[in-house]
Amino acid sequence: MDIPTADLPPPRGILACAAAACAYAGGAIFIVIAMLAVGSIVSRAIWSKPLQGDYELVQVAGAVFVSLCLPLTQLRHANIIVDFFTVRVKPSTRAWLDAFGAALLALVMALLAWRLCVGTISMREAGETTTILGWPLWYAYAAMVPGIALTATIAFASAREHARQALR
Amino acid sequence: MSPLVVGAILFGAMLVLMAVRVPIAIAMFVPGALGYIALSGTLPLLSHLKGALYARFSVYDLSVIPLFLLMGQFATQGGLSRSLFKAASSFVGHFRGGLAMAAVLACAAFGAICGSSVATAATVAQVALPEMKAYNYSGRLSTATLAAGGTLGILIPPSVVLVVYAILTEQNIAKLFAAAMIPGIIAAIGYLIAIGVVVRIDPSQGPAQPRHPWSERLATMRSVWPVAAIFVVVFGGIYGGVFTPTEGAAVGAVATFVAGIAMRELDVAGIKRALLGTAETSGMIFMIFVGADMLNSALALSQLPAALADAVAHLALPPLLIVVGILFFYIALGCVMDELSMILLTIPVLFPSVMGLELFGLDPTEKAIWFGILVLMVVEIGLIAPPVGLNVYVVNGLARDVPMAETYRGVVPFLVSDAVRVTLLLLFPAISLWLVRTIA
Repeated sequence: MDIPTADLPPPRGILACAAAACAYAGGAIFIVIAMLAVGSIVSRAIWSKPLQGDYELVQVAGAVFVSLCLPLTQLRHANIIVDFFTVRVKPSTRAWLDAFGAALLALVMALLAWRLCVGTISMREAGETTTILGWPLWYAYAAMVPGIALTATIAFASAREHARQALR
Repeated sequence: MSPLVVGAILFGAMLVLMAVRVPIAIAMFVPGALGYIALSGTLPLLSHLKGALYARFSVYDLSVIPLFLLMGQFATQGGLSRSLFKAASSFVGHFRGGLAMAAVLACAAFGAICGSSVATAATVAQVALPEMKAYNYSGRLSTATLAAGGTLGILIPPSVVLVVYAILTEQNIAKLFAAAMIPGIIAAIGYLIAIGVVVRIDPSQGPAQPRHPWSERLATMRSVWPVAAIFVVVFGGIYGGVFTPTEGAAVGAVATFVAGIAMRELDVAGIKRALLGTAETSGMIFMIFVGADMLNSALALSQLPAALADAVAHLALPPLLIVVGILFFYIALGCVMDELSMILLTIPVLFPSVMGLELFGLDPTEKAIWFGILVLMVVEIGLIAPPVGLNVYVVNGLARDVPMAETYRGVVPFLVSDAVRVTLLLLFPAISLWLVRTIA
């Protein structure tokens, strides 16, 4: 287990801004989730029926919210790693290992972003919709792509940063 | 290849990747994806991945996690820990070791609105450490108390770990929260006793403070009632079936926000920090989900869980001994892994085995709840036990003058109290189940 490594300078520039923007966008969606939930309680209390489709809205909003959190997590190196076995390793070796780990994460996220795009297209072709509100599901899929793709990009950048540190 | 061999290979590959600092989520994902390809082919994997992320991220019950995280963040940024510690120390500070006891009580109260151990330890430490230092408490007792007390953040509901367990095992979150309540209180009492024993043996570790008059004690209560009110509304509503856990968490987040504003502790910078902190931690948790899901899909294809359950059912060992073995496995794994990764990784594999055992004649639901509480208790031990107790790291980061080894030495009495409690819960399922049965 590791507390996020603080040995890299706080990332700046366009990727950091994009990640923060995503997180704030996620936060806005999140407030919508909270208000929906509270609204549904109030609605049940007053009209003794829940808001139409509140369950679905929370599901869709939740999925998009999580996808928008991932870039910030990677940006701040908050993805948990086990550093128990590498405490005594040379700093440069450790930096190489971190570069490898970040690169692997980038590849996985790139794979997931690609499959999510394909998933978006097939959802659109199949015309699948949510059960109660009848919203096209591919909207939700498409809204998740930017967060996942940005996470992959940020992870590539951190891999490069770790490698640069290893060479120093 | 037999399922057990496939499982062992995937598990081994994961451990190797983890050891070389690959993020845990990816260390689970990569062997999982390769195993999936080996067992069923590349095209099935690619087609599985098309919908995997949406399927996971859109689980309704999971939205409770970010909401409880936000509630905890608002409580942290809103300075609620300071009033809690002040109130507790005005009541018990005049005992020997009283400030340490106050810290445990503050952790327990804070844990009732925060679902994270690390956050609880860090937040209460920020107010309690300087106070204990001012009254000449030993560094060992102060840091160990806060590291151990922090685990009450997860032991007392809300608890992110329990939410994840509930979702993996398809159990009712409200029932699990109810089941955790009494064991959580027992944990707090156990820690108070541990402190009492420590200062009895060596009074210099925690000198007594002057007694506070009742007028002062009552005055401190004015600033802690919001915490009690939030707890009662959120959990009363969830247990009473007035709203779902997600709705309860939303109400709690809004209420904690309002309390922070009303107490003039939560400012714009604090709100920003709370939002970004929630996003960061949510991303971290769901990333582990992505990895664990992939590995578990591969393990499910290999039919390891079923094979293991079958093998376990045919073991000629008493069922309780098997459960003890599993708990020890968790403690060992907890030395290197965090509690969420551990649960996400192992519950899908081990749960069917446990459900196949005959234990105290419990029905499946009660068995699942009882086992969940036990797992919750043992994974928390990893947070304060050497070699890498995350809580110990965090508290030591705030008390630079105390060597880490001192803290680990100080943690021992708390570990003993943990061991006693786990044994009690193991032998007497009624401790966890009584409240669940009463509410139902």
